[in-house]
Amino acid sequence: MNNLCTDVGYHSLYKHGEQLCGDHVDVIEKGDDYTVLVLADGLGSGVKASILSTLTSKIISTMMANEMSIEECVSTIAATLPVCEVRKVAYSTFTIMRILNNNEAELIQYDNPHVILLRDGKNFEYEKQRMETGGKVIYTSKIQLCENDVFIAMSDGAIYAGVGKYMNFGWQRENIIDYIEKLYDDNYTAKVIATLILDECDCLYGGEPGDDTTIAAIKIRTRKPVNMLFGPPSNPEDVNKMMSLFFSKDGKRIVCGGTTSMLAAQFLGEEVMPDLDYFDPDIPPIAHIKGIDLTTEGVITMTQVLKYAQNYLTDNVCYYDWSTKKDGASQIARMLFEEATDINFLVGRAMNPAHQNPGLPINFSLKMRIVEELSECLKKMGKKIKVSYF
Amino acid sequence: MNIFVCVGSSCHLSGSAKIVELMKNAVERNNLNDKVKLSGAFCLGKCTEGVSVKFDDEIVCGVSEDNFDETFQKYVLDKI
Repeated sequence: MNNLCTDVGYHSLYKHGEQLCGDHVDVIEKGDDYTVLVLADGLGSGVKASILSTLTSKIISTMMANEMSIEECVSTIAATLPVCEVRKVAYSTFTIMRILNNNEAELIQYDNPHVILLRDGKNFEYEKQRMETGGKVIYTSKIQLCENDVFIAMSDGAIYAGVGKYMNFGWQRENIIDYIEKLYDDNYTAKVIATLILDECDCLYGGEPGDDTTIAAIKIRTRKPVNMLFGPPSNPEDVNKMMSLFFSKDGKRIVCGGTTSMLAAQFLGEEVMPDLDYFDPDIPPIAHIKGIDLTTEGVITMTQVLKYAQNYLTDNVCYYDWSTKKDGASQIARMLFEEATDINFLVGRAMNPAHQNPGLPINFSLKMRIVEELSECLKKMGKKIKVSYF
Repeated sequence: MNIFVCVGSSCHLSGSAKIVELMKNAVERNNLNDKVKLSGAFCLGKCTEGVSVKFDDEIVCGVSEDNFDETFQKYVLDKI
């Protein structure tokens, strides 16, 4: 075992005017044993393509996760996919990325643009073996993993972006490599890399994609825990217990909430020093406590973090806000979404009497809901989440 | 004199940002930069309608845009 883990992120642009995507991504993960990601692009667009690609990715990911051979997968696909009335073929391209024990990647590629591998932010040419099975030419590769390796799979919509509009021959794989090499930063998550490329595709298409376009990325990174304290315990006698647990954990520490930060500061024998700078007029200023990485106000800040998390799971356009801004919510978003792989929430259930004023849009049930919804979102980002209530 | 403006959740919703801005301007306008230290505070435990401000040891609640000048006169200018 090593200290590496996989971070998966993908997103699609729908062909202009379509309500269904003809590309489909399926991911199966089993702890640190393996991660299988299949990106399939069905023939045509709309319903038909969507059915083809969904079937293809589901069948392959399930079979690969059960360690069946690629030959078996391909023959199953050929035997299962419905044949197109018009074209008399059953067809869906696919790219399989299988990460084993976080130390080896296996790529199996059929007719999609080849996977880009970035090693330390630079394009890395990997070996491919050509094989034929069931009349299909398939390329396979096995690659030993390094920290910060990024695998980028795409459907052909990506390389056709801009054909005839802004670029005569479209945006070739080399152009995508140039683009992402220039932007690359070690802090980018898989999702950020995928959406950065997709946004560029969308621009090249002039906002009206001529084909379904999907980018799926897998990033190999080290595990990093982040701990978050949110709210005082319902029983005041539990303060020391809660604080001891919080400060005994490895990793960075975030403290959210006015009363909570005072309790944490008291425990450390330090002072809370709130800032007066409003980087975002809607988000209260952060504070500083010696020994704590980030101290913020509670419910209002966390409501914004939840909004960012929900957006991260869709098109991630808010990335351009939270990735650079200095307010508390943006800083928490960066720590939770980008830095952390394992997050421990220590949530206090004390009710703040001042917040039960019906005139205020904040209350106890809102706080509990934020924790629940945020941890769901973080799980969907692939983070390991542990929530303890006090 | 130390002035703390509460920037906790309730006060934030009642307009802390505006009060901080007014406070900074008032201190500037009256040339009090070397006499007054302006800081933020988390919850002062007096969440009411309006923002809580602590002038040295005295907590004043319900500070708003409307009563700001009056409050600044009474708790700062008259005392310095």
